[in-house]
Amino acid sequence: MRRELEDSVVLTNRRSRGWQGSAPTAWAERGISRRNFIKFCSAMAATLALPELYVPQIAAALEKVKRPALVWLEFQDCAGCTESFLRASHPPVGDIVLDILSVNYHETIMAPSGKAAERSLMDTVRGEKGKYLVVVEGSIPTKDGGIYCTIGGRTALDIAREVCGNAAATITVGACAFYGGWPSARPDPTGAVGVEQAVPGIKVINLPGCPPNAANITATVVHYLTFGELPPTDEQGRPLFAYGELIHDRCERRAHYDAGRFVEAWGDEAHRKGWCLYKMGCKGPASYHNCPAIRWNDGTSWPVGGGHGCIGCAERNFWDTMSPFYRHLPRVPGFGIQTTADKIGGWIVGGTAAAFAAHGVASAIRGRLQPLDGEDKPKEGEA
Amino acid sequence: MAKIAIDPITRIEGHLRIEAQVADGKIADAWSSSTMFRGMELVLKGRDPRDAWLFAQRI
Repeated sequence: MRRELEDSVVLTNRRSRGWQGSAPTAWAERGISRRNFIKFCSAMAATLALPELYVPQIAAALEKVKRPALVWLEFQDCAGCTESFLRASHPPVGDIVLDILSVNYHETIMAPSGKAAERSLMDTVRGEKGKYLVVVEGSIPTKDGGIYCTIGGRTALDIAREVCGNAAATITVGACAFYGGWPSARPDPTGAVGVEQAVPGIKVINLPGCPPNAANITATVVHYLTFGELPPTDEQGRPLFAYGELIHDRCERRAHYDAGRFVEAWGDEAHRKGWCLYKMGCKGPASYHNCPAIRWNDGTSWPVGGGHGCIGCAERNFWDTMSPFYRHLPRVPGFGIQTTADKIGGWIVGGTAAAFAAHGVASAIRGRLQPLDGEDKPKEGEA
Repeated sequence: MAKIAIDPITRIEGHLRIEAQVADGKIADAWSSSTMFRGMELVLKGRDPRDAWLFAQRI
């Protein structure tokens, strides 16, 4: 999609194609054709699991939006979530989301350093109090007074309390900001915790994953800009559009699991044929994420597609509960050691159906439906 | 002698603080500190060696 967007850039003073008859927008000025803009909005609606009739509403919202401020904090992190977000070209994050947001602070990409950087952050926290979004990447150490992560002489805990405490909403990206991530893995040397534990009582949405997928980060921001609120979540604060379904239930190798066709050793005939990786330690039957649907690297592939089991990176405490990663699931807490693959399959399917009914995914989506103007108005029964 | 501190250093991956002592417009001495610690070696201890790459690549 990025290539198409770049192709659509108009080098002369001509207006970008397709915008005639509609109000001139910043998108046209940036040289993005109407067609590619709508394609982006459609991709966002698809990621959010919204029906197509929401596309005009998303487009209208993104055309109108007045660059809300966003600050991106990095604590005990590896910058992998930043890499995942910035290097993604589908959806074209750099071209669209970074343009519609005013990213006032992000240590990995910002020009100012030192005191000037701190000023950028504090100007937003004080000047945009209660209106800005904050993204947190990395865990927050609590042991020994929080000394294990300091920025500008302040502890991560101190910064998180002020910056997240004054924000309109906090988006945590990655396993570390969700629950503490690998810094909190046994023996948890620094007392690392996630944002919800460090700053209780604030409005948070969690996008776990190691790293999370850029499409889900983008879609969460687009949902906020379109509907003025964060998308519906499960009881762990994870948006249902991305964490509502088991990897196992959407896996392209599921038919092999059901038929009892398993890889028994790396590189064996079954592995070459693309059979099920459950016996090699795949944690797909215990992991909620939309990887099989949206995939990675421009939708090219994903871990299971590449021949390696899922490690369950969007689940709480996965570094300890899902490891050893090459041991198959019954050894993982929550499953009986003697349980057979078939029994786990049945248990998981039943459990998911119940979870789905309880979450009320369908009703949550219907609740987003708002009347549209003119021809775009949804018809009876279409939702 | 004047002492300057730049923290955070941006456009890098990770956390860094640089302090420098300035004398007659020249840097006389300087110190760098990594201001974040996670304890990767401690976390790796006692784990299945086949899992090491998954932890270590998140450096």
